[in-house]
Amino acid sequence: MIRLESINRTYEMGEHELHALRDVSITIEDGEHIAIMGPSGSGKSTLLNILGCLDRPTAGQYAFDERTVAELDEDELAELRLYQIGFVFQSFHLIPRLDALANISLPMLFAGISPAERTRRGMEALNSVGLADWQTHRPSEMSGGQKQRIAIARAIVMRPRVLLADEPTGNLDSASGKQVLDLLCDLNQQGITLITVTHDPNVARLAHRVIVLADGEILRQVKGDEVSTLDALFSSRLQAQQAESELERTT
Amino acid sequence: MKSFDVVRFAGNALLQNRRRTLLSLLGVAIGATAVVFLTGLGEGARIFVLGEFQSLGTNLVIVIPGKTETHGHMSGAGGVPNDLTLQDARALERRLRGVQRVIPMTNASDVVSHRERRRQLGIIGTTRDFFLAQGLRAARGDLLPAAELDRGASVAVLGHKVAKELFRHEEAVGQTIRVGDARMRVIGVLESKGTQMGQDIDDTVFAPAATVMQLFNRTSLYRILVEFGAYADADVIKKRIIAVMIDRHDEEDVSCITQAAVLESLGGIIRTLTLAIGGIAAISLAVAGIGIMNVMLVSVSERTSEIGLLKALGARGAQVLAVFLTESVLLSTAGGVLGLLAGTGLLRLLTSFYPEVPATTPMWAVAGVLALAMSTGPIFGVVPAWRAMKLDPVTSLGRG
Repeated sequence: MIRLESINRTYEMGEHELHALRDVSITIEDGEHIAIMGPSGSGKSTLLNILGCLDRPTAGQYAFDERTVAELDEDELAELRLYQIGFVFQSFHLIPRLDALANISLPMLFAGISPAERTRRGMEALNSVGLADWQTHRPSEMSGGQKQRIAIARAIVMRPRVLLADEPTGNLDSASGKQVLDLLCDLNQQGITLITVTHDPNVARLAHRVIVLADGEILRQVKGDEVSTLDALFSSRLQAQQAESELERTT
Repeated sequence: MKSFDVVRFAGNALLQNRRRTLLSLLGVAIGATAVVFLTGLGEGARIFVLGEFQSLGTNLVIVIPGKTETHGHMSGAGGVPNDLTLQDARALERRLRGVQRVIPMTNASDVVSHRERRRQLGIIGTTRDFFLAQGLRAARGDLLPAAELDRGASVAVLGHKVAKELFRHEEAVGQTIRVGDARMRVIGVLESKGTQMGQDIDDTVFAPAATVMQLFNRTSLYRILVEFGAYADADVIKKRIIAVMIDRHDEEDVSCITQAAVLESLGGIIRTLTLAIGGIAAISLAVAGIGIMNVMLVSVSERTSEIGLLKALGARGAQVLAVFLTESVLLSTAGGVLGLLAGTGLLRLLTSFYPEVPATTPMWAVAGVLALAMSTGPIFGVVPAWRAMKLDPVTSLGRG
């Protein structure tokens, strides 16, 4: 369903160029659960933004459901995000002035769905994340875990085919994090393709496949249950990163 | 995204920051109030002044001595026009057909006294027809007698205030007043009428035209009013008047002004003034518009992360533009409506204190204020909304 071929993403930083992604090629099948791991600055978020059609690659081919994303204009990309892709962010990104139901209904506003249908589908989504009684509550009245579940309800209310989650448990305690992970895995089992960016091996372990990025390149791809084999790799890279930053400080 | 949803979403965003919304809304409201109030005042002045002139009747030609020409000086020997005399008035009365009244008018000013009470007053020399034409009635006694034009009796009719000031609680009718060195018998006191054509009727003494001309050694009337029938044509009457005067003076040395022309030109002048005042007041609406732009720019910058989110959730650029533009339009429209209500309220308050000024906002000003206020929003809101539309979702989300 998703095919990336030799994707590059370069940022102009004054006279220098920053290569956020280099020759990344991935194929993701319908219904797969993918975890993207890697140290900070490895290009995980850039890859997620490109997969979510929020950003365009500098070079390479991205095909979503056989459609070449580079050929789509801004409105077509927005339509793709609206109907095919759901986003879950680490910091929830709920609008504070809107109650839970209104937050969940946002994508339906853009789709021009009638108020009655919005309420029906919004309540259905709230129900599916176990927060049916919280429809009139504002984000400020909710715990982190509840906020993230509202964000998941918003992401699935348009019944997307792909759910992109950027550190979905990053701001949550372990109990709330587990609830959110269970919810995401349930959705994946119902057929939604789930792509999660995470630092947490426990989150990655649940995925069918783990893609490890370093310096914008795919370092390795392993199965979810092989995540523990990555520990040695990460600790050596972490040591190298620390040594590098130590050197920068002294010079 | 349905229009109703756009309005609700935008309204909700405005309500989030009530104080800021109220302040920028007040900016527009004050501008709109100024336009409504000042144009209402101008329109009131126009109606008031025109009403004053209309009380004389619109089927009126005013004959004044001197021919105004395009090169700007008057004809007649040495540039001085011939006198406009009582005989001229009598000739017009005799020779013009379709004319109801010919009213000679002369004026002067002198000390008018009764015993020890004395006042400096305006004195109008005219005929009984003047009162009839202006709808002036005697409260006590009678109006000037319908005598021959050139026969001036030593009688006077007093304005309401003059009688009150000179005679206090005494009955004025039948008593004698002194005008300069002459004595005049008071034959009537007018009902209170106020000011007409810039003349305070209540504070004026009326006497026969011949008497005033003789008393003040006047050789010329200052105007002759010719009132014609409702079906007569003002231009035809004008031509006939000029023909009679040429016949009498051997040259065209009078000017004829129709009341309709005076009304039209006066109305035009006051309306232009009103427009100018309204226009100046409208500048404050533009200033308010800049206020809206400022508020919206701050709003876009504060809500960068929200804009990024909307885009990530599938909002098209045009939908983001519509949301922010609607916020500006809501602000300016609400301000306009508020200003309209406040301006109308102020005018009501004014007319309750000064009922003689019929201050009322003309429909063109109401429509203009609303149109201007409503267009202030999109004009000044387009830059912030455009900025919101163009925000990069990835960068915007990162600022959350």
